[in-house]
Amino acid sequence: MMAGNKLSVKLPTFLLLITGLCYQVAADDGLVNEEVKRTVDLSTHLAKITAEILLSNQGDSAVHSFILAVESDLAPHLAYIGASVKGDEEEDGMLELKQTAIQGQSGEFYKVQLPSSLGAGAKLRVKVETVFSHVLRPFPTHITQAERQLVVFQGNHYLFSPYPTRSQTTRVRLASKTVETYTKLGNPSKSDDAIEYGPFRDVAPFSEDTMKVHYENNTPFLTISSITRTIEVSHWGNIAVEETIDLRHTGAFLKGPFSRYDYQRQSDSGISSVKSFKTILPASAQDVYYRDEIGNISTSHLQVLEDSVEVEVRPRFPLFGGWKTHYIIGYNLPSYEYLYTLGDQYALKMRLVDHVYDDQVIDSLTVKLILPEGARNIHVETPYPIDRVPDQLHYTYLDTFGRPVLVASKTNLVEQHIQDIVVHYTFNKILMLQEPLLVVGAFYILFFTVIIYVRLDFSITKDPAAEVRMKVASITEQVLTLVNKRLGLYRHMDEVVNRYKQSRDAGALNSGRKTLEADHRTLTNDISSLQARLKAEGSDLADKVGEVQKLDGQVKKEAYIENEKNLASKRLDLVTRIDSLLDTL
Amino acid sequence: MAEHHTVTDGKHKASPNAGGSLHGNSRPNVASGGGGKGGLSGGLAQPAGWQSLLSFTILFLAWLAGFSSRLFAVIRFESIIHEFDPWFNYRSTHHLTTNGFYEFLNWFDERSWYPLGRIVGGTVYPGLMVTAGLIHYVLNLLHLTVHIRDVCVFLAPVFSGLTSISTFLLTRELWNQGAGLLAACFIAIVPGYISRSVAGSFDNEGIAIFALQFTYYLWVKSIKTGSVFWSIGCCLSYFYMVSAWGGYVFIINLIPLHVFVLLLMQRYSRRVYIAYSTFYIVGLVLSMQIPFVGFQPIRTSEHMAAAGVFALLQAYAFLQYLKNRLTKQEFQTLFFLGVALAAGVVFLTVIYLTYTGELWTVSYAKIHIPIIASVSEHQPTTWVSFFFDLHILVCTFPAGLWFCIKNVNDERVFVALYAISAVYFAGVMVRLMLTLTPVVCMLSAIAFSSVFEHYLGDDMKRENPPVEDSSDEDDKRNSGNLYDKAGKVRKHVSEQEKAEEGLGPNIKSIVTMLMLMLLMMFAVHCTWVTSNAYSSPSVVLASYNHDGTRNILDDFREAYYWLRQNTDEHARVMSWWDYGYQIAGMANRTTLVDNNTWNNSHIALVGKAMSSNESAAYEIMRSLDVDYVLIIFGGVIGYSGDDINKFLWMVRIAEGEHPKDIRESDYFTPQGEFRVDKAGSPVLLSCLMYKMSYYRFGEMQLDFRTPPGFDRTRNAEIGNKDIKFKHLEEAFTSEHWLVRIYKVKKLDNREPLDHKLRSIVPRPKYTSKKV
Repeated sequence: MMAGNKLSVKLPTFLLLITGLCYQVAADDGLVNEEVKRTVDLSTHLAKITAEILLSNQGDSAVHSFILAVESDLAPHLAYIGASVKGDEEEDGMLELKQTAIQGQSGEFYKVQLPSSLGAGAKLRVKVETVFSHVLRPFPTHITQAERQLVVFQGNHYLFSPYPTRSQTTRVRLASKTVETYTKLGNPSKSDDAIEYGPFRDVAPFSEDTMKVHYENNTPFLTISSITRTIEVSHWGNIAVEETIDLRHTGAFLKGPFSRYDYQRQSDSGISSVKSFKTILPASAQDVYYRDEIGNISTSHLQVLEDSVEVEVRPRFPLFGGWKTHYIIGYNLPSYEYLYTLGDQYALKMRLVDHVYDDQVIDSLTVKLILPEGARNIHVETPYPIDRVPDQLHYTYLDTFGRPVLVASKTNLVEQHIQDIVVHYTFNKILMLQEPLLVVGAFYILFFTVIIYVRLDFSITKDPAAEVRMKVASITEQVLTLVNKRLGLYRHMDEVVNRYKQSRDAGALNSGRKTLEADHRTLTNDISSLQARLKAEGSDLADKVGEVQKLDGQVKKEAYIENEKNLASKRLDLVTRIDSLLDTL
Repeated sequence: MAEHHTVTDGKHKASPNAGGSLHGNSRPNVASGGGGKGGLSGGLAQPAGWQSLLSFTILFLAWLAGFSSRLFAVIRFESIIHEFDPWFNYRSTHHLTTNGFYEFLNWFDERSWYPLGRIVGGTVYPGLMVTAGLIHYVLNLLHLTVHIRDVCVFLAPVFSGLTSISTFLLTRELWNQGAGLLAACFIAIVPGYISRSVAGSFDNEGIAIFALQFTYYLWVKSIKTGSVFWSIGCCLSYFYMVSAWGGYVFIINLIPLHVFVLLLMQRYSRRVYIAYSTFYIVGLVLSMQIPFVGFQPIRTSEHMAAAGVFALLQAYAFLQYLKNRLTKQEFQTLFFLGVALAAGVVFLTVIYLTYTGELWTVSYAKIHIPIIASVSEHQPTTWVSFFFDLHILVCTFPAGLWFCIKNVNDERVFVALYAISAVYFAGVMVRLMLTLTPVVCMLSAIAFSSVFEHYLGDDMKRENPPVEDSSDEDDKRNSGNLYDKAGKVRKHVSEQEKAEEGLGPNIKSIVTMLMLMLLMMFAVHCTWVTSNAYSSPSVVLASYNHDGTRNILDDFREAYYWLRQNTDEHARVMSWWDYGYQIAGMANRTTLVDNNTWNNSHIALVGKAMSSNESAAYEIMRSLDVDYVLIIFGGVIGYSGDDINKFLWMVRIAEGEHPKDIRESDYFTPQGEFRVDKAGSPVLLSCLMYKMSYYRFGEMQLDFRTPPGFDRTRNAEIGNKDIKFKHLEEAFTSEHWLVRIYKVKKLDNREPLDHKLRSIVPRPKYTSKKV
C-alpha cells in the first residue's frame, strides 16, 4: 500500500517537511487524523501513551483498515499496543491488529482491521493505547540514599502516524511537581503535575520532534526480570500454581552506604526504594506460600477479600536501585472454577500470567502447564502470540509414564497481558483409577511379602529344639479343639437327657446316647493318639493331656445317672479343673 | 505420651495373665455356647500372638510420639535447618544430591577458609549426607518429589524411631521384653536425646545414636550366641557408626573394655573369642574405609585399647589351648613369662603415648587451645542439666544398674560398663550427655519394669505360677545351648515372690500409683523441655507481645539473603567463625573461617582484625582480600549471643597467635572489668568490632527512659558515640540491627593527605625544557 512511497528519509530525523509528498501518501487511502488527543502518562515507571484519534476518510472509496505506527526509538520497548473504537454508547470494541511493514520507513507498523468499512467522508473515533517499558531512564544513574530519583523521558511531541494530522494536543502526566527541564515546543503550559502541549495544527505524516522531560519520579521501578509460572492440573480437584520470580529495582542505583538508621528515622530516606507491594491472587486461592531458597519469608501478610486474596509481599530487605531479590509464591485453586469438561473432553481456562504488582513489567515469562498423566490431543488457544517450546514430561507422585508439560515463553509483558489461555485436551477417565490401584498394588505386594516371609522358614541351619516346640504347639492346638468338641458333646448329652425327662422316650435316649458315645469314643481315641504323639516328641504336656483324659473318664461314668444336680455341680467342677489344666498347655 | 505407654505397658505386663483369664472365661462359654469359637479364640489367645501385636503397637506408638514431639519447631516456625553445623551438613548433602557421590567425596570447597579452601570429602563423616541423599534418591526414584531440605529436616525425627526400636532390642536382650518396651518409650521422648534430634537439627548425632544402640545390640547378640553372623552384623553397624560420627571411638573402647572385664571375671568363653576377634578385624578394616578416619585406627591412642585387648584375647585363648596340652608345671612357667612380657609391652606403650601427648586429647586441648574451651558445649555438665535432660530417669537408673549387677551375666557386665563410662564422659562435657541418655533409659526401664513386676501382675501369678515372659522362654531355649542366664533369672523371680507374700494389695496399688505418677511427670517434663528449650531454630527468633501475638525476628535470613542476592558471586565475607556455615549455606558466599575450626591461626587472624583498630584491621583485611565484614549486634533488641559478648574469646584466640599485637588485658578497665561505656578501655572503644557494632548507634534512642546509644544487651550507654570509618562503609543492616554488614573499600586511586598541603615557596620560574 505504501510501497509507492518514494520517501527515503531516515528516522530519526527531526522533521519531515516534505509536505507535498506526504499529502500524496495520505491521498493513497485518503485517511486523515482529524483531531488527536494524546496523553502521555509518565506517573509510574511505565510510559503509557493513549491517543484518541478522530479518523476521517477523505478519499473516494471506503476503507477497511488503517495503520498505526510506533517510532523506531520506542519500538523495542513497546510492550502492548491496542486499538478500540470509541462509540457513543461507551462500549469499546477491541480491534484486531496485525504487524506489517512499510518500505522506506523505520519503526513498527500495525494494520488495524475496522469492524465495518469506513465510507468516503465518514468519521470514526478510535482509541489507541500503547505501553512502553524501560523508557524512563534514571538520570543521574546513581543516587545516594537521601537523594530523590530523577528520570528522563524521551518521546515525540506529535502522534507518529502515516496520515496527516489536522489538529492535536499532547498532555504529559508526571509523577510529581518537580520537573528539572522539559522541551518547550509551542510554549506548553505546565500545571501541577501535567504539561500540556499544543494544539499543533496540520502535522505532516511521520513527523517526529523529540520531547524530553526530566522530572522526579519516586514510584517503585520494579521489574520482574524473569518469572516462571507453573500450573499443575490435577483431576482430583486441585490446580496448583507456583510462580518463581526474579525481581529487580531498575531505578537509579544506590550509591554509597545503606544506613538503616536513616531509613528507620527519616521518612523520606530512600524514598525511591521498595518496601512492599501487593499481589492479588484469585478469590479461591488457598494455602498460599511465599518463600525462597532459605525458607519462608516471614514478613508477608495475607488478606482474604471478597473478590480476591491479597498478599502483601514484603521482600526480606527493602529494594534499592540495582538490588534484586528472588522468591516463590504459590497457591492452590479448586479445579471446578477453571476446568470444564464434557465427556472425555476437557478445557482449562486460566490466566496465562497473573497480577504480581500494579503496573507490572515482566521482562521474560515462562509458563509451564502440567496436565494430568494421560492427557492427549492437546490444543492451546492463546490470547496473543507466544513462543511454544517442545513439550516436556514431568514426573511426580505416583506417575508412571509422565505428565505432559506445555512450555511457552514471552518477553516484555505488562498488566494488559493478564488474559486467559484455553487448553483443550482429552483424557480417558479410566486413567483416574491408575493411581489408587498403584497404591493398592504396592500395599498388596508389601503385605504379601511379609506373609510369605513370616510363614516360610528361610534359615539355612536347622534348630531341632525349635522344630519340636512348634510341633508340640500344633499338636496341643489340635488337642484343644478336640477337647472343646468333646465338651460340646456333653452339652448335647444334657439336651438329650432333658428331652428324655420330658418325653420319657427311652428309645430316643438310647439312640442319642449311642451316637454320642460313639462320637465321644472317636474323639477320646483321637486325643489319646495325639497324646502318644506328644509323648513321642518328649513333651511333658503328654502327662497333662493324660490327666484330662482321666478326668473325662470320670465325667462319663457319672453321666445321666439319677442325681442331676449333684452331677451338674460335679461336672462343672471337673470342667473348671480341666480348664485350669488346659490353661497350662 | 509416656504415661500412656506405661499404662499400655502395664497392660502388657498383665497380658499373659489376661490371656490366661480369657482362657478361663472362654471355656465355659464354649462349653455352654457353641464349639466353633474354640479354634478362633485359641488362635488369638496364643500369648505369643498377643505379645507381638502389643509390642508392635507400643513400638509404633513410641515412634510416633518421638517423631511428633520433635516437630515443635516445624509447627511453630517452618521446615528449616537449625543452628550452625546443620547448615554445613545440609549444604554438603545438597552438593551430594546435585553432583553425585564421587564428586562429593572429591569435593574441594573453595568457598570456605579463603584462601586455603577445604577438602570436604576427606574431612567429614559422610554417613549423614549419604543417608539423607540415599533416602532422597530412593524417594525420587519412586517419583515422590520430596525436596532434599525436607528429607534433611525430618531425618533426625525418623531416626529417633529407629533408635527406640534398637533400644528396645538391646534392652530385651539385657532384661526382658517389658523393660525393652519401657526403654523404647523413654528414649523416644527423653530430652537428652531430643536436644540433638529435633526436626531441623540435621546433625551427625541424629543418626549416630541409632547406630550406637544398634551396634551395641548386635554386639550383645553376638556375645550371647557366639555366632559370626551377628558379629559381622555388628561390624557393619559399627561401620555405619564410624561413617556417621566421631563418637564411634566410644564403641571401639567400650567393647574391648567389656571383653577385658569378662576376661578378668573369668567369664571367657568361645563365644567371646569368636565375637571379639571377628568384630575387631572386620570392624578395623571397615572403619579404615572412611576417608576421614583413614589410618587413625592403627595409629592413634584412642584405638589402641582395642588392639591391646585383641592381642590379650589371642594370648588368653592360646594359653587356654596350651593348658589342655601341657603339664601344670610347664604351663605355669609359660604363663608367667607371657604375663611379664605383655605387661612390659603395655607399660612401654602407655609411656610412649603419654610422652607424645596423644592420650587424654580433650583435656589437653582444653588447656592449650582457647578455641575449644570457647565452645559452650565443651563445658563440664552441671547437676541441673542432668536433671533437666533426664528428669526422673537420672534417679532411677542406679537402681536398674544395681539390678543388673545383682543378677550379673555377660551382657549385663556390658551395660554396667556402658553406664559407668557414659556417666564419666557426660560429667566431663555437656555434649556427651547424649551418649549417657540411652543407657540411662535402658537401666531406668529395667528398674521400673522390675518394680512393676513386683507390684502389678502378681495375683494371677500365685494362681498359676509358671507364667513366663517370652524372653524367659528364650532363656529356656538357650539353656540347652551355651547359655547360662535362665537359671539365675528363674531364681530371681521366685525370690521376688517370696518377698511379695507379705505385701497387701493396698501397698501394691499405692506404689503402682506413685510410679505411674512419676512417669506422668516425666512425660510432662519431657514435653515441656522439648517445647521450651530445644525447639528453637536459632536462625529465626521470635518474641511475644503482651497480648500473646508473636513477632518473628528474621534478621539473620534477611541479611544472609541480601548477601546472596546483592553482592558479587565471589565476594569474600569475613565474620567470626560461628557464622561461617550459615553464610556459606544461606548466603552462598565465600567465608574466611567457619565452624570446622581446623586452622587456629586463620581464626586468630580474623580475631586479630576484629580486635585491632581500623587501619591495622584494614591491612589484615586487604591481605585476606575481604570484601565484606559481617557482625552480629544484639544491642537494639537485647540479643545476648552477639559478637561483643563473644569478643573476649576473639581477643584471647588472637592473643594466642599474636601475643605482641593483641593483649587481653588491654581490653579491660584497670579494675579488670569488660565494659562498653565511657569507662571502658580506650583500646576496646576504638577497635574494629566495637566500631562496627556501634556505628551510628550513638544517635539512636530506643525509648524515652534511656539516653541515646543505650545498649540493651549490656545495659550501658555506649562510650564512643562518634564513630567514623575511613576504610569501611555500612553496606547493610538488618531491620532490628541484629546483623550488620560493612563493605571494605578498595584502595583510593590517590592517597588522600592527612595534613594540609605544605605551602611551598614558589621557586623562580624554571621549568625543564626536556618534558
